[in-house]
Amino acid sequence: MAKSFQVDVVSPEAIVWSGEAELVVARTSDGELGIMADHEPMMGALTTGAVSVQAESGERTSIGVHGGFIQVLNNQVTLITDRAEITEDHEAAQQVAKSLADEQVEASEDVVEP
Amino acid sequence: MASAQLRDTKRRINSVEATKKITRAMELIAASRIPKAQARVQGSKPYTAKLIEVIENVGAAGAADHKLLERREPKTVGLLIVSSDRGLAGAYASNIIRMAEVRIAELEREGKDVLLYTVGKKAQAYFRYRGYQIEQAYLGVTDTPGYGDARAVANVVMEHYAVGRIDALEAFYTQFVSALTQTPLQAELLPITPPEAGDDDESTAVSYSFEPSPEDILNRLLPRYVEAIVFNMLLEASASEHSARRRAMKAATDNAEELIRTLTVQANRARQAEITTAITEIVGGAEALADA
Repeated sequence: MAKSFQVDVVSPEAIVWSGEAELVVARTSDGELGIMADHEPMMGALTTGAVSVQAESGERTSIGVHGGFIQVLNNQVTLITDRAEITEDHEAAQQVAKSLADEQVEASEDVVEP
Repeated sequence: MASAQLRDTKRRINSVEATKKITRAMELIAASRIPKAQARVQGSKPYTAKLIEVIENVGAAGAADHKLLERREPKTVGLLIVSSDRGLAGAYASNIIRMAEVRIAELEREGKDVLLYTVGKKAQAYFRYRGYQIEQAYLGVTDTPGYGDARAVANVVMEHYAVGRIDALEAFYTQFVSALTQTPLQAELLPITPPEAGDDDESTAVSYSFEPSPEDILNRLLPRYVEAIVFNMLLEASASEHSARRRAMKAATDNAEELIRTLTVQANRARQAEITTAITEIVGGAEALADA
């Protein structure tokens, strides 16, 4: 059994996911990235896409994410996302991420009034 | 004539009762929204906290050069004023407006130009009526502010700061302390005062690997930071507004009850006077007949 580490996925509205995990797969602007315990300290910019977290129990959670950052420090992984939503599987996560991105564009368009 | 007075008083009681029903309903609506608004304030805190932590770490890693951090001599100061769209919330909107107006007068005395960014109809109406220049007004945000709203506000002010339209930005909003206390606050938003890493922080010496470069990361982090702070202000203001409205409506309901009580006493008295007059008349009539 692989060593686990603390993972927090936060969005501006709430904590989306928090707990011990063994593996986190995320997509940064430089490409797909897998993180396991004792990863070197790292800071990355997340892109729109699916993040998958494998919890200690072996359970996998897929999260659709739109923008944000990932920080890895002392076996603590923090994903600070603009929008995030837990979904059933990887494909759904990718779709959700895309729709979150679209929604955001629309939302920011209609509030501005002269 | 006594019966006319009785009729008037009864009519007033009915009207006050109708008003009381309305204020009671508004009180209940506002009360039901407070916990939700409060939960949203709490919900936004982890994000802001994590973001600040990350900025501290990036700053400690030696990347601290960005146009949003750059301080310049302010010639034009932007004021972001968060008020409400609707009234009937006691002094909620006027408190924050008054605070902003004092600051505007102060800045004008110093010979600085002022640009206003208003959130909510109340601030917009107030300042437009008095001929202040409103750069941007946001409406329909304060009831349940979304992150998209905060982003829209933040993007505009950051853009204006970046191009030099404003040289500083101060925000006026109401902080939600508790259901009974809400404090109007003034906060400096731009230039960003970077959160300082504490001395006891053992993580300061961490050498990160950045993906992409530290500058790129900072470029993306700082706007998020401003957005998060604006979002937090909007949420605090929204929770405060609901609390203020609940309290104002509770006071109105209590007043209506008090008024109904007084009016009922008056009505009873008028009725009694009417009866007394009637009896006196009958007795007087009977005596007159007996004498005759």
